[in-house]
Amino acid sequence: MPDLVRELEALAEGARKSIGAAADERALEDLRVRYLGKKGEISAVLRGMGQLAPEERPKVGEVANRVRDEVESLLGGARERLEAEKLEKELRGTPLDVTLPGRRLLPRGHRHPVTRATDEIVGIFARLGYDVASGPEIELDWYNFEALNIPKDHPARDMQDTFYVDEASLASPSGEGSILLRTHTSPIQIRAMRRAGAPPVRVVAPGRVYRSDYDQTHSPMFHQVEGFCVGSGITFADLKGTLAAFARAFFGPSTRTRFRPSYFPFVEPGAEADVSCSLCGGSGRRDALRCGTCKGTGWLEVLGSGMVHPKVLENVGFDPRQVTGFAFGMGVERMAMLKYGIGDLRLFYENDLRFLEQF
Amino acid sequence: MRISLSWLSEYVTLPAVEELSRRLTAVGLEVEAVERIGAALDGVVAARIVSAEKHPQADKLSVTQVDAGAGPVQVVCGATNWKVGDIVPLATPGASLPGGQRIERARLRGVESHGMLCSARELGLSEDAGGLLILAADTAPGAPLARALGLEDTVIEVNVTPNRPDALSHIGIAREVAAALGVPVKLPVPRLLQKPPAASSLLKVRVEAPDRCFRYAARVVEGLRIGPSPAWLARRLEACGVRSISNVVDATNFVLLEWGHPLHAFDLDKVEGGEIVVRLAKPGEKLVTLDGQERNLSADDLVIADGERASALAGVMGGGHSEISPGTTRVLLESAWFEPTGVRRTARRHGLHTEASHRFERGVDPAGVTVALDRCAGLIAELAGGTVRKGMADAYPRRRRPVDVALAWSRPREVLGMPISRGEARRTLAAFGFEERKATPRGAVFRVPSWRLDVAREEDLVEEIVRLKGYDAIPETLPGIASVTPDVPRESQVAERARQALESAGFSEAVNFSFVAPAELAALSPAAPPVGIALRNPISAELAVMRTSLVPSLLKNAAHNLRQRVEDVRLYELASVYRRHLAPPVGDAPAHEELRLSGVAMGRRHSVGWAAGGDPVDFYDVKAALEGLLESLGIDGVRWARGGEAWLHPRSAATLSRVGPDGASRLLGAAGEVHPRTAAAFELPRGVFAFELSFADLAAAARLVPTHVEVPRFPAVLRDLAVVVAEEVEARAVLELVRSESLAEDVSLFDVYRGAPIPAGRKNLAMAIRYRAPDRTLTDAEADEAHARIVGRLSAALGAELRA
Repeated sequence: MPDLVRELEALAEGARKSIGAAADERALEDLRVRYLGKKGEISAVLRGMGQLAPEERPKVGEVANRVRDEVESLLGGARERLEAEKLEKELRGTPLDVTLPGRRLLPRGHRHPVTRATDEIVGIFARLGYDVASGPEIELDWYNFEALNIPKDHPARDMQDTFYVDEASLASPSGEGSILLRTHTSPIQIRAMRRAGAPPVRVVAPGRVYRSDYDQTHSPMFHQVEGFCVGSGITFADLKGTLAAFARAFFGPSTRTRFRPSYFPFVEPGAEADVSCSLCGGSGRRDALRCGTCKGTGWLEVLGSGMVHPKVLENVGFDPRQVTGFAFGMGVERMAMLKYGIGDLRLFYENDLRFLEQF
Repeated sequence: MRISLSWLSEYVTLPAVEELSRRLTAVGLEVEAVERIGAALDGVVAARIVSAEKHPQADKLSVTQVDAGAGPVQVVCGATNWKVGDIVPLATPGASLPGGQRIERARLRGVESHGMLCSARELGLSEDAGGLLILAADTAPGAPLARALGLEDTVIEVNVTPNRPDALSHIGIAREVAAALGVPVKLPVPRLLQKPPAASSLLKVRVEAPDRCFRYAARVVEGLRIGPSPAWLARRLEACGVRSISNVVDATNFVLLEWGHPLHAFDLDKVEGGEIVVRLAKPGEKLVTLDGQERNLSADDLVIADGERASALAGVMGGGHSEISPGTTRVLLESAWFEPTGVRRTARRHGLHTEASHRFERGVDPAGVTVALDRCAGLIAELAGGTVRKGMADAYPRRRRPVDVALAWSRPREVLGMPISRGEARRTLAAFGFEERKATPRGAVFRVPSWRLDVAREEDLVEEIVRLKGYDAIPETLPGIASVTPDVPRESQVAERARQALESAGFSEAVNFSFVAPAELAALSPAAPPVGIALRNPISAELAVMRTSLVPSLLKNAAHNLRQRVEDVRLYELASVYRRHLAPPVGDAPAHEELRLSGVAMGRRHSVGWAAGGDPVDFYDVKAALEGLLESLGIDGVRWARGGEAWLHPRSAATLSRVGPDGASRLLGAAGEVHPRTAAAFELPRGVFAFELSFADLAAAARLVPTHVEVPRFPAVLRDLAVVVAEEVEARAVLELVRSESLAEDVSLFDVYRGAPIPAGRKNLAMAIRYRAPDRTLTDAEADEAHARIVGRLSAALGAELRA
């Protein structure tokens, strides 16, 4: 029946228009139901087929299938078009404010500059083959002084104002004045050499030390790193080479070192080691002004050092005719101040987060 | 030690001060400061008054024309003690006077004045303000005043290390300069005119404590007159920081600064019985020292006594009784050599530190006893006009033997790492005053100069050689020790991981003093205050005991930050705490020291921002941080239980413990909210949380190397479970029961709910359980059975009801 064919053709024509005009997914879905649904228009047309002559049926069926295929393809195309438009719209949408701060629920905590500097110093010596050692902070006079060639009633004791422990507060008092807060990390030399029993011994030893001195440039507690290397044939030249290598590793490859005679009772000969100023590069001047860090000298005093005194070797049972060695010590706060540009010693112990967060 | 260069130049020819400082520093005598004396008079010059007229507007002022070497200058002046032609000091515009007055060009009552004519007082030269300082008539106009008055000098401050008492004098420094520069040193030769009778007939000397006084020599000067010192002497002393007192006392101080040998002058008429006894103090003996203090003497104090009483603390300070006074005419001059450690003990016992004790305790030149004595006696005779009696009263019970030290020619190379030629070794040692006594092919024996008490062994000779040569000459090498992998202690590794874990949980590291105030420890536990090891000589009461916990320091840090308006605080510290040994120690450490890892948290849970709210930190934030810490150390099986330290809020406190390899449960530490009373003691609000853990126990439990466990190959079955239990039932009990089901691989608690429709006093716990069999795919039926078993156990053991 040509009527049905016409109806189908008109339906297809209507579908072309309405699908082409569909504005969104929902409208498309409505159209799909309208044309292709079980109660849709194509089905309605096909329901009329029963009244057709059998020879007409295939023709109408063919047209109906064509129309259905076309409507399906129109719907698919329209769907793709709509998705592309939607994506296009999204891509062109209002951009994020990329300048808003990142979502950090919990910022990372910070390492104290003393630990940071200590770890770096110890790490350098560890790479040079030094073992890491520690020792007690409440120490016997013998380790802190006597064994280091600083006898009782010796003026060298004035070099370090000592805190003594009230021995009534200890379990086994051993005589007033013999128990103290270590004034340097050097007693670890004695303990480590005795523990090792025989040379060679290479040790680096960080720790807290205490001196009864408290002002702008002195703190009653501060940190030192001690290091020493004892064995056969160890010389002052080895000391120089070691500390020069250390200074370059810590302060930078262009750092120079120099040694001046000085006195520490547990070394002989003794030397103060200076490094070229890390701030002015050793020129003594910054921005055409005198460098305040090195006071215009171009050099910074950072290390005490020397060849281990024969008496110290004897005190740990080593034979000074067979064994030589060098030792050195440095203040960690001073190293940290120079490396990080910290101007005030007291900042280290206030634990103000505005300070700590810089490290 | 302050060294006057004008004085020093009498003994040795000096280079420029910069070069001198460099060379002295290079031989180990560090020049710490250079001070120009007379610099205060910069800009003040000599000027001749050429003419003068009355000030037109002021009766008391004159308008002078003065010549300061560059033509007449007009200056208004108020003084009247001068006449035209006088030479007077002119402070030129730009000069700053010692009193702080800055000179400017000015108009005085309408008349221009180009500077100021000065009195001695205005120049800080004397108290004389009576008029202008009239200078010598031959003073050249224009000459700087300091030079015209002979006030110019340069003083260097030398840091003399305790081993070098010989350098505590001008002659000592001159010797070093001479050696460093390779020039001769000229020593002063005492001129001494002696007249009978012999000193020994006027005075007896007896040393009763020869172990404490090796030598005691005395001279007698009679018929002298005490008076002021001449200007040159006073100026020299002042340049060295010593106040001028009188000619006799100044003479002893002069010789002290010249030779480094302390001397003491007694009024001989006050020495009873004409006898000096050097002895230890008697029980109960007292002495009034020169500073006016009465001192109770110890039986270990060495005194200089006469027949009746102690009159000086030997080597430290004289006594008031025998002090030189304006009426003194006869002087006993003491030059001694005291045993160093005894002097030091006495000085410290009496809280004294004098120029004399400083030198005696370091050691004086034994050979200097008579040299200094002669030099001083001669000077006194010259300055005070007396007669030096013949000879000395001398007791010398402990004669010093010269010290000889052998040097093997090979030793410098063994110590320094570079060869030193025999010639160089000999030249250097000779320059420093060492005398070669004996030579062999392998070395030589050198006699140590009497003033070098610090040289006793071969290494000391090596140091002498290298300090003249300079360390710069030594090459840089590295020790030839076979490389070994150094031992990084396990503790260091654990510490690094622990630090990183806490830092990633937002905690920053604090470093605090090891000593705290006793009250701060007490605030932790008011009922049973911890007893810390006390210091005998603390800096202050605030820093008096060694801390037994890190918590007080961290609470102080939190309070400090709060005062600075830093309200979100998370800090940790890893450090030792200290207490007496409770059990016999393993080593010989005098006290028990153990590392603790502690922290404090307060303020907001998250950093405030557009993305998170401002909820306050609570117990579970701290717990999360510690769980993260334990996980990073590979420590499992830690049991959290109610309870904790006295400084924790009883409602919000937990202990952490863990069963050790020995099967015993070990307490790792505690965490929770800080007790409100403890918080208040540190001026902190509520809502501060803290923890303290034993670092040694953490380190012992840490598993630094992970062990691989097979990843499951069969799928899991997930089931949620919600049960209602009484409020008192702890989550741990529920979770442990769930885990006791062998097919329950994991359980996570995702909700805790209280409120309708759950009855009051009960809570709903919702959890997700993952069931898995290691060897097969679990069926739904098996999972359901396991689930039912868990429900049954929860119901039976904890009264839990399954929530519909």
